[in-house]
Amino acid sequence: MGSDQRGPSDVQLMKPSVALTPETESRVQAIGEVEILVGIPSYNNADTIGHVVRAVSAGLAKYFPDRRAVLVNSDGGSSDGTPDAVSRAVVDFGALLISDQQSRLQKIITPYHGIPGKGSAFRTIFEIARRLNARACAVVDSDLRSITPEWIELLLRPILDENYDYVAPYYLRHKYDGTITNSIVYPLTRALYGQRVRQPIGGDFGFSGRLTDHYLDQHVWESDVARFGIDIWMTTEAIASGARVCQSFLGAKIHNPKDPASDLAAMLMQVLGAVFALMEEHHSVWSSRQDSTPVKVFGFQYEVGVEPVNVNVERMIAAFQQGLADLAPIWEQVLGREMTAELMPLRTVSSAEFRIPDDLWVRVIYEAALAYHACLMPREHLLKALTPLYLGRTATFVLETQGLTTVEAEGRIEQLCLAYESRKSYLVERWNHKPRT
Amino acid sequence: MKDFFETALLAPLEQLGRQVLAVLPNVLAMAIIVGFGFVAAWGLGQTVERLLRVVRLDDFCNRLGINAALARGGVKSDPSHLVGRTAYWIVIAFAVIAGLGALNLQPINQFAQSFLAYIPHLLTASVILIAGYLLSNFISQGVLITAVNAGLPPARLIAAMSRWGVQLFALAMALEELGIAQSVVVVGFGITFGGIVFASGLAFGLGAKDLAKEYLERTLSNRARERPPDDLRHL
Repeated sequence: MGSDQRGPSDVQLMKPSVALTPETESRVQAIGEVEILVGIPSYNNADTIGHVVRAVSAGLAKYFPDRRAVLVNSDGGSSDGTPDAVSRAVVDFGALLISDQQSRLQKIITPYHGIPGKGSAFRTIFEIARRLNARACAVVDSDLRSITPEWIELLLRPILDENYDYVAPYYLRHKYDGTITNSIVYPLTRALYGQRVRQPIGGDFGFSGRLTDHYLDQHVWESDVARFGIDIWMTTEAIASGARVCQSFLGAKIHNPKDPASDLAAMLMQVLGAVFALMEEHHSVWSSRQDSTPVKVFGFQYEVGVEPVNVNVERMIAAFQQGLADLAPIWEQVLGREMTAELMPLRTVSSAEFRIPDDLWVRVIYEAALAYHACLMPREHLLKALTPLYLGRTATFVLETQGLTTVEAEGRIEQLCLAYESRKSYLVERWNHKPRT
Repeated sequence: MKDFFETALLAPLEQLGRQVLAVLPNVLAMAIIVGFGFVAAWGLGQTVERLLRVVRLDDFCNRLGINAALARGGVKSDPSHLVGRTAYWIVIAFAVIAGLGALNLQPINQFAQSFLAYIPHLLTASVILIAGYLLSNFISQGVLITAVNAGLPPARLIAAMSRWGVQLFALAMALEELGIAQSVVVVGFGITFGGIVFASGLAFGLGAKDLAKEYLERTLSNRARERPPDDLRHL
């Protein structure tokens, strides 16, 4: 990332990445310039977004009273009155003992254009940030229940005062919360790009104006990134582009529950598809990096009670074993015969003995990435066929950590990360070779 | 005696000789055309095969699952070789027809014309069959993965039915294009496909009526299925 901030003339010369509505255009022109922008993408979040807007308003008033700031709600056409909830949300600053607020928070409530999804909502937020020449930006999810004003300071302060470009969130989570992150995305991103960003798909980020420009200039907005791959894309792009990256401790993340098994295969496909696509794009970056380094964490870390998570291990093992019975020919094509044969004994073992070892799991993920790169089969099929394998690995993690505390379970994740790092040479070596036939 | 010898024996032989002499250039032309055709077929077949190996057709077909399908069908040659041999036999077929045409015999000319007129139908039917085969592989693979991820026990059966359904449909279309027993094919396909759908409906309704009831209730009332306690958050 460059070190200079953009000048107003640069902003004027830049070609718009996405069109804004006339109302939004006039609102942006009326506001002129700001130092801070906080974006909230939304779609039918009327019951929670008010709290998020109040937390943002209080955070800006409390921690950045002398800086011009704007809140942007980029909405995907909500039918439950989400934009009204945003405009109605006000904070009783007196009750919060906040007296030193120089100006009221400006709000821009706008629909977004393009493919429906969080990525398109972010694109509109980025475009407004560029027009307003914002120096520091943050985005937070609209279904958060645990957000506090401190989150805003923690996401923005490292950019404004410490000259960082990207602030990833660092949450306290239950050991079984975020299993795709723990078993694939965090260890893989860490092994590939060499930086230990614990929550690369956290959803709440801070970033500099310079990084906003970089994001807008990428030609990804008509791809899956525009849907739901935006979080991992932002983190990976930040690391791969050489931006200064840090983390902020935000405590527990509590947000509206989603049906956990609503469409796991689609979720896995989107996240893994984004990770693998980014591997293709940034091959020159990750292939030369070795080991990993810690990433600075800002904020006061403390222990906090997290919501309990109920897990049905039997169901996950049954799903894996059905996959092994029915998808073996597809897995052979993706992973190779030898690796599929290594999995075969798990078809008949009892739950107590069921384990997919770290090393085997790492090779599964690396082989899947290689198969994706070589287009060994339609990519959607390839990614969705990994769902039973992922459930098998999750069952293994649950069985191995049943009696452990969250901190001890974190130690198991660290072991897995080291397995990813130690096997990376295998991935690098095979990346440019002829695909398996 | 001399007249008899000339009229009864020499005259027919002379006439036969004249006829042979009249046909001989045509036969020679046929031999040249067919011979040249064989050489051209060999050359074209080799060129096509090598060209396809250079552009890595075999790798591409492997990704599409065509190699595996060929192996399942007992074909040990790779796609490049198969296409090369196909080009070879097409040229041979044309050369033989052209060669026979050089004989200038009425029945052979008619056959050649009919054959040439039929070639577009043959090509269309081939394209339909190949596209149907590829589509059936793609669809059945997608159905299998979706069914396994949904935890449906008869996932392979559902996938196989989708594969055969698409292939049956493609076969019916190809036969209709070729004009082979058109009405029989259409009626046969209708009866078979309708029968499969009807049987599936009956099987689902009678054999799995509780599952059908639950599914319809859930779909129509938009109720979430009751699951055992499991609130794992994956992201």
